[in-house]
Amino acid sequence: MLELSGLFQWIHAVASGLFSSLGLSEIFLDIFLMTLAGAAIIVFLALMALFLIWWERKVAAHFQDRLGPMMTGWHGWLQTIADAIKLLQKEDIVVANADRPVHFWAPVVAFASCFMVYAVIPFGKGALAADLNIGILYILAITTFTVISIVMAGWASNNKYALLGGMRSASQVISYEVPLTLSLMGAVLMAGTLSMGQFVEAQGPYIWKWYIWPQFLGFAIYLTASTAELNRTPFDLPEAEQELVAGFNIEYSGMKFAMFFLAEFLNMFTVGAVATTIFLGGWQPPFPALSFIPSWLWFLGKSLFIVFLIMWFKWTYPRVRVDHLLGFAWKVLLPLSFVNLILTAIAVQIF
Amino acid sequence: MGYFKEIASGIYNLLLGLKTTAKYLPRPAVTLQYPKEKMPMFERSRGIVVLLSDPETGELNCTACMLCAKACPVAAITITQAKDPVTNKRYPKTFEVNNLICCFCGLCEEACNFDAIKLAGKYEFATSDKQSLVFDLAKLQELGRDVKYEKKRKAVARKPAAKAEPKEKTAAAVPDPEPQAPDSAAGSGDTV
Repeated sequence: MLELSGLFQWIHAVASGLFSSLGLSEIFLDIFLMTLAGAAIIVFLALMALFLIWWERKVAAHFQDRLGPMMTGWHGWLQTIADAIKLLQKEDIVVANADRPVHFWAPVVAFASCFMVYAVIPFGKGALAADLNIGILYILAITTFTVISIVMAGWASNNKYALLGGMRSASQVISYEVPLTLSLMGAVLMAGTLSMGQFVEAQGPYIWKWYIWPQFLGFAIYLTASTAELNRTPFDLPEAEQELVAGFNIEYSGMKFAMFFLAEFLNMFTVGAVATTIFLGGWQPPFPALSFIPSWLWFLGKSLFIVFLIMWFKWTYPRVRVDHLLGFAWKVLLPLSFVNLILTAIAVQIF
Repeated sequence: MGYFKEIASGIYNLLLGLKTTAKYLPRPAVTLQYPKEKMPMFERSRGIVVLLSDPETGELNCTACMLCAKACPVAAITITQAKDPVTNKRYPKTFEVNNLICCFCGLCEEACNFDAIKLAGKYEFATSDKQSLVFDLAKLQELGRDVKYEKKRKAVARKPAAKAEPKEKTAAAVPDPEPQAPDSAAGSGDTV
């Protein structure tokens, strides 16, 4: 009932009937359906990015006893759309002596990489674009593109603040990539797979079977390290407003800036989606009795809860210092994630 | 052991921070949605200068005595005096307040003996045209229409009370068709 898989089967049936009546071969049907799936994901993510920016502003406002945007639509829900239209109209400025091709491609890389992740994210029952058997490896590889785009933007802008932001981002993201990867490996040992679809099946619709309980340390490390990967407070050194004005995106205007901005918020949703799939049972309900609620709603709810946690961090913690940041990654998170990995390996071997 | 102790206390303090901010989330907003909601201004707040009218007759209280113009430290007030030929009563023919140089000190209000001028708690007069900030008599009277005011000290109020009697007499004696239009009165009284 109301499951996405039913919709997909209907689309498949209609499209295959259409293609066979037109006398086209199977390969065209596959190409058509994959294009359709990609377009659907892109549309969903564009709407999600718009929603998340609005939501971040509302959450921020309510944490500070304000109301946030209220003028455009009900509680200002059209505000992001208005902002996007404004940014579309703006002039695209490229500074003198900028590295023009790199300056152009940096937001494209940022934007494309955060869309690529969603090929392997299971949105609901039967709503998985490509169930790669190396799903987690693929996600970890793709999300690292973000740092490339940030370093590209910082380098190409010909601005010392942008360059500082890019360099800080490089050191930070590379440091936190290690505990991030290791924190997921505990769950990988337990599930015995790297495929995102099989991860969801391994946990099942029972809340006590979800990996957040045995892997709580891994979950905490993942959340911390991914906050650093997202360049969000308390690890927002690459775009520290007070020190670097805006960091790597200081010389970007108009739609290029909007692409960076949207990519940042989409990456936040990616973190929520990955944490949901690996630690919170994906689209499964916590109890089998609750399976009358569509699976995609469970997925969205859990992911948005993780996103809310990250926003909550932002409005609670002050920014850390650069040396503290790197020391924390190497001296605390890395040993802890190794401990987690070894304990999990022993436990898996015994039971 | 200090290493693990530090980690434990660090986690405890982080959770404490989250708890603190969580308390603020459900609280109602303390801000106002400005153009829709407005803060009630205090009774004695000094806003823009307005001219007060008598709430019963609708006539201006001003007698064009020039005290406010003299008291004004920045000379923002310009008054032209006129005298009604029938009632022999003084009234302001023109009354201009230049809000571009007004410093909102309230000395004109203190100088006035007739409850005629007041710095009401009005503050919304932003404009893109500078010259429109020089308010004339009609504008000042319009601004002062809904301003509530109390009579000044009794000792001071007695003097105009003696002068107020002829005002009532004239109102009774002359069947004025437009008692509350200062412009028409200014048009007729051009003898000064």
